[in-house]
Amino acid sequence: MSVITEQVGTSIEALMDEFNIITHNLANVSTVGFKRRCNAFSRVLEGQESSEEYSPGSIDLNSAFDFSQGGVVETGRELDFALFGRGFFVIETAAGPLYTRNGTFRTNQNGQIVDGDGRTVSGEAGPITIPANVSLSQLSMSSNGSIKVGDTEIGRFRIVDFGENETNLVPVGASCFLMPEEGVVPVAAEDVVVKQGYQESSNVRIVDELVDMIMVCRLYEANMKFITAQKETSNSIMGVAMG
Amino acid sequence: MLRAFSTAATGMTAQQMMVDVIANNLANVNTNGFKRSQIDFQDLLYVEMRESGTEVASGVTTPSGLEIGSGVRAVSTIKVFTLGELQSTGRSLDVAITGDGFLQVTLPNGELRYTRDGALQRNADGEMVNNMGYPIEPAITIPTDAVSVDIGKDGSVNVTDTSGTVSVVGTIQLVRFPNSSGLSSEGDNLLAETEASGTPMTGTAGENGFGTIQSGFLEKSNVQMVTELVNLITAQRAYEINSRAIKAGDDMLRTASSIVR
Repeated sequence: MSVITEQVGTSIEALMDEFNIITHNLANVSTVGFKRRCNAFSRVLEGQESSEEYSPGSIDLNSAFDFSQGGVVETGRELDFALFGRGFFVIETAAGPLYTRNGTFRTNQNGQIVDGDGRTVSGEAGPITIPANVSLSQLSMSSNGSIKVGDTEIGRFRIVDFGENETNLVPVGASCFLMPEEGVVPVAAEDVVVKQGYQESSNVRIVDELVDMIMVCRLYEANMKFITAQKETSNSIMGVAMG
Repeated sequence: MLRAFSTAATGMTAQQMMVDVIANNLANVNTNGFKRSQIDFQDLLYVEMRESGTEVASGVTTPSGLEIGSGVRAVSTIKVFTLGELQSTGRSLDVAITGDGFLQVTLPNGELRYTRDGALQRNADGEMVNNMGYPIEPAITIPTDAVSVDIGKDGSVNVTDTSGTVSVVGTIQLVRFPNSSGLSSEGDNLLAETEASGTPMTGTAGENGFGTIQSGFLEKSNVQMVTELVNLITAQRAYEINSRAIKAGDDMLRTASSIVR
């Protein structure tokens, strides 16, 4: 196999990965707090640039989360919270904290604020409990994340920011992220506003994804054409050789 | 390649569920005391193809890895307990709860159910019952000689008899839950207590966070037609686009298989 054919092979693999990622983005077009993954191709150069022999290397696909703000949709539900700006809600699990932008919360049987899977949402002073004699419609929210009943604060969401370490977050599904690296301690988010009665919708833009999808399909086709041409060439060479 | 098929299929399933939920909301746009549902989606697990920080050349590490997600799932439907529109009916036995709280009714088997539908009636024995004929709890009986019935904001039921004497025959009690969204829907506008809803707390209207009782009004459904229709369009388009992804994947596979021809 020629070097070029090998390169075409890696590029086909990368295109298929990209296609899978686009499909995942499209599947999550209605997922609250979902962050799309964006793709970037990079060519990994093997061999030195100064060397006389040119080695094309392989095509590599990198994908990273696009943490840009999603649209904000009004739901009017008392326990829907949307974050404007950089920051994450903190979900407490037995295996350590998880971070999420999905603020569709509930209360559990004890009145504690929990996420969709029933895990407690972290407050600045432990889990936030809504007192039994308070109805949800009496809750009000100030933009810094503190939940009030009248003038009394009953708790305040812990909202954290990772700054430039954000790219190290690993997705664990269920709209949550994990910080795998030891020692990366998030700081309290500053440039963030919490809105009650709103949800942050997915930041997947359908048109962009469709354009990307068409491009991937065409590139894939082109690469496949090349392989077909290569096959024909080697067929005719074989034909000449075998007489 | 097969991963993209199943990913897009999860997307289609999720959108289909969203349409189901919207359809039920829309069907109940005129149901008294109906609370709309909202569906909550989450992304599925990611397959890590390459970790971030892998060394690709000597001293060069990738700034980001390659993680491919596997789609979406519906995690739950949440009932949204915002207040529905109050409609004046003029019937003194129609009650609307402005704020938090449910009416309790007793089923024939003795179990309790909870409802926001306050279209109460009187049965043959003078008992106050809901539309289905289940008596409210605690039971209130209106004497046969009552000329008129008034229900106060605190739920007290006042009756005026033929001689013009007013007497209180009982008080409608309200119930609240730590997590109303955890109640299970039983149909017939009734909700049942579950493990997730927590234990019911009984109280008087207007106290301890309970709403007040408004006689002569009915609480309509809190479904907003326009919002639901917009959601319906979104869900339909998202469904379509996920099916396009399957079609595109199919085209790619066809291209691949044409090489070997």
